[in-house]
Amino acid sequence: MILGFFFGTILIYSQAFSWYRIQEMFHFHSFHMFGLLFSAIGTAALSLFLIKKFGIRSINKNTVVVHPKKLEWKANLFGGLIFGLGWGISGACSAPVFILVGFKWQIGLFLLAGALIGTLIFGLIEPKIPKA
Amino acid sequence: MEAPLAWYIAGPLIGLIVPLLLLIREKQFGISSSYRYIWALMTPKISYFNYKRGQDQWQIHFALGLILSGLLATQFLELAITETEYDYQKIAHSVYELDKAWIYLVGGIFVGFGARYANGCTAGHCIMGVSQFAKSSILATIAFFAGGSIATHVINPLIFKL
Repeated sequence: MILGFFFGTILIYSQAFSWYRIQEMFHFHSFHMFGLLFSAIGTAALSLFLIKKFGIRSINKNTVVVHPKKLEWKANLFGGLIFGLGWGISGACSAPVFILVGFKWQIGLFLLAGALIGTLIFGLIEPKIPKA
Repeated sequence: MEAPLAWYIAGPLIGLIVPLLLLIREKQFGISSSYRYIWALMTPKISYFNYKRGQDQWQIHFALGLILSGLLATQFLELAITETEYDYQKIAHSVYELDKAWIYLVGGIFVGFGARYANGCTAGHCIMGVSQFAKSSILATIAFFAGGSIATHVINPLIFKL
């Protein structure tokens, strides 16, 4: 929960959770969001490299293993397009949905309800959906 | 509007969540599985929601932290855009008004459905997955941006009347 609070606070103060910054990103009017994403990915990749190189263990003394998500091209492509449409329209991806529940509940609750309905629809038709 | 926290500070801080989660909770960064977890609690009869949900329980705690950060920010932050060079900036002060709630409901449905179909969202694919150089995540990230561009340039001018 502390990490969630930390993540949310950064997304808020970098304004990455706002509809406006997402529109700006998709119009290529500012480098802000791209710099944010690239530097986040770079930091994460470097951290993973260091964890592996020095065999850093978790606080429970376990070896840290990461599993890349399986490539299912139809799922990644079509699911990604659908997700992207929602992201572009609402200006919020999954984490900002929760932030907006706190920050602007009148809108956030509609977003959260939508995300839950979307998840339920997927769960209902999942056996029939082409993935790989 | 006040300037946002610089990307070269915020980005690395977000990136640091990946090793922190791995080292403290032994979890890969992600958030959208929290939606699946909620349905797993309510409707375990649907096969897709009948899974080892315990692995995703931490995301609910993470989500509560996100909600709290939003609640706290309401005390300090005002999101009013003053620039009016572009159409989306002109309406930025009113995008979260209640008459547009249906847009967020529909957008949310796409986000929820797409995240499950793609098996991850901006956190799990863009940040966690791409930093592992996973092909699935690179493809999903390209698709996220393609979908987002279509929404921004084609759909939003219609629904937000830009």
